[in-house]
Amino acid sequence: MNAHVLRIEDVRSETGASIKLHKVTRSFGSLRVLEGIELSIEPGSFVAIVGQSGSGKSTLLRIIAGLDAEHGGSVLIERNKSPAVARIMYQEPRLLPWATVIGNVAMGLGPEVESRTALTRARRALDAVGLGDRAADWPAILSGGQKQRVALARALVSKPDLLVLDEPLGALDALTRIGMQSLLEQVWRDEGFTALLVTHDVTEALTLADRIVLIEDGRIALDIDVPFARPRRRGAVQFGALEEQLLSTLLKSSPRTEEYVI
Amino acid sequence: MNTLALAHSKDKHSQRNDKRVSSVIVPGSFASLKRFVPLLVPLVILSTWQAASSGGALSSTILPAPLDVARAFIRLVLSGELAENAAVSFLRAVSGLLLGGTIAFLLGLSNGLSRLSAQATDTTIQMIRNIPNLALIPLVILWFGIGEGAKLFLVSLGVFFPIYINTFHGIRTVDPHLLEMARSYGYRGFALFQRVILPGALPSIFVGLRYALGIMWLTLIVAETIAAQSGLGYMAMSAREFMQTDVVVLAILIYALLGKAADLLVRGFESLTLSWHPAYAKGVRP
Repeated sequence: MNAHVLRIEDVRSETGASIKLHKVTRSFGSLRVLEGIELSIEPGSFVAIVGQSGSGKSTLLRIIAGLDAEHGGSVLIERNKSPAVARIMYQEPRLLPWATVIGNVAMGLGPEVESRTALTRARRALDAVGLGDRAADWPAILSGGQKQRVALARALVSKPDLLVLDEPLGALDALTRIGMQSLLEQVWRDEGFTALLVTHDVTEALTLADRIVLIEDGRIALDIDVPFARPRRRGAVQFGALEEQLLSTLLKSSPRTEEYVI
Repeated sequence: MNTLALAHSKDKHSQRNDKRVSSVIVPGSFASLKRFVPLLVPLVILSTWQAASSGGALSSTILPAPLDVARAFIRLVLSGELAENAAVSFLRAVSGLLLGGTIAFLLGLSNGLSRLSAQATDTTIQMIRNIPNLALIPLVILWFGIGEGAKLFLVSLGVFFPIYINTFHGIRTVDPHLLEMARSYGYRGFALFQRVILPGALPSIFVGLRYALGIMWLTLIVAETIAAQSGLGYMAMSAREFMQTDVVVLAILIYALLGKAADLLVRGFESLTLSWHPAYAKGVRP
C-alpha cells in the first residue's frame, strides 16, 4: 500500500508541469481584469482557483491554458525545463456533434497522429472514464455527465502535463457532479499531471484541491493550503474553518445589498 | 347508494373496455388502407376531371382529359421525343448546377474563411443578387443567341445565389467554441477545415442546394420556353402552337416529378452525411 502510494508520488513529480506567473496583467479596453498576478505552482499539485463571477479567474485560466496571448507579464509552464503539454476542459463539453464518441476522443491527439494508433489510445482513454461501451455513439444521445466524461477522456488521451479545468462540473446536477469529482481525483492521482481547477463552489475546491487561490478584483486575495488527507469526504466537518474563511472573503467583496424596500 | 355507485363505476369501466377493444380492432384492419389516405384527394380530383371531360363539360382545348394526357405520354415515349427532350433538359440543368454551384461554393468558402475576401466581393454579390435572373433574358439572348450558352448562363446564375449565401452563412456560423477547442488541440488549416468547419457548415449548404434545385428547374423551363429548339420547355411551347393541350399538361406533370426527384436526391444525401444530426436521425426526419 505504501509502496503503491510512493510510486504515484514518483510519477507525479516526473510528469506534472510547473507554472510560474510573473506580473501577469490583462485589460479589456480600459477595464483592468488582472493586476500583477504572481503565482507559482508545484508540479503534480491540484490547485483550485475560486472567485466571484467577473473576478478575473477565468481570464487567468485562459492565459495559463494559452488561449489568450494578449496579456502582460510572463507565463512559464514547463516540465523538466522543457515546454509542457497543457489541455483544457471547458464548462461545456464542446464535442464535435458529427464525430462519434471515440472520434472525439481521438481528436485529442491532434491531427498528426496516425488514425489506427489514435483509435487504440482513444479506446483506452474511454475505458478509463467508464464509457468504453459508448464508443460508436453520437454525442447527441449522451447525458450531460457522459459528455463531460468524453471531454475528459479527450483531454487525457494525449497524456498532458497540465490539465486546466474551467468549471467543467458547473452545469451538472448534484449527483453527477459528485461522481465526476471522484473521477477527476482518481485520474489525477493515476496520471500525475498538474491540475488547475476554476470553480465558484468552495466545497468542491476543498474536496479536490491541495491549495486554494482566491481571486478578487484581479488580485490574489487569499492563498491557502488544504492539508486534509485523501480521499476526502464531501462536506467533512474539518472543512468548516477553511470554508468559513473562504466564504467570508468571497462575500466581503460582493457589493453590499441595499436594504430591501418596496 | 354505495352499491349503486359501485355498479355505475363498473358500468363505466366496462364501457371503457369496450371502447378500447374496438379501437384496437379498427386501426388494425385499416392499417394497410391508411397508407393510401394521401392519395385519396388526387384520385377524387382525377376522376372528377375525367368525368367532366368525358361528359363534355370541359373542352379539351382548355384542359385535356387525364386519359388523353396518358395517351400523349405513351405516344411521346414511343416516338422517343420525350426521352430526347428530357435528356437535353436534364443535361442543361445538371451542367448549369455544376458550373454555377461550384463557383458559388468556392466563393462562399473563400468569403466565409477570409474576411478580406468577403470585404472585397460580398457587397457586389449582394447587389447582383437582387436582380431577378430572368430579367436578364433579353440581354442574354443578345449575348448568346438561343444556343446552349444562354441556358447555361441563366441556370448557373440562378443556382449561384442560394448556394453562395448558404455556404457563406454556414461557415460563418460554425460554433466558435468548437473552433477554439479544435485549435487548442493543434488543428489548423486544412485539418481544421475538414474536421470542424465543413461538417459544421454542411446542414446550411444542403439548404442552399435544395433552394438551388428549385430555381434550377424554374430558370431552365422559362429559358427553354422563350429561347430554345429542344428540351421540355420547348416541347410544351411548340405543343401550344399546335393546340396540343395534352402535351402541355404532360410537360407540367413532368416538371412536378423532376422537382420531387431532385428533392428526394438531396434528402438522400442529407441522411447519408448528416446522420449525426438529431433532426436528420433515423425515424425523426419528417
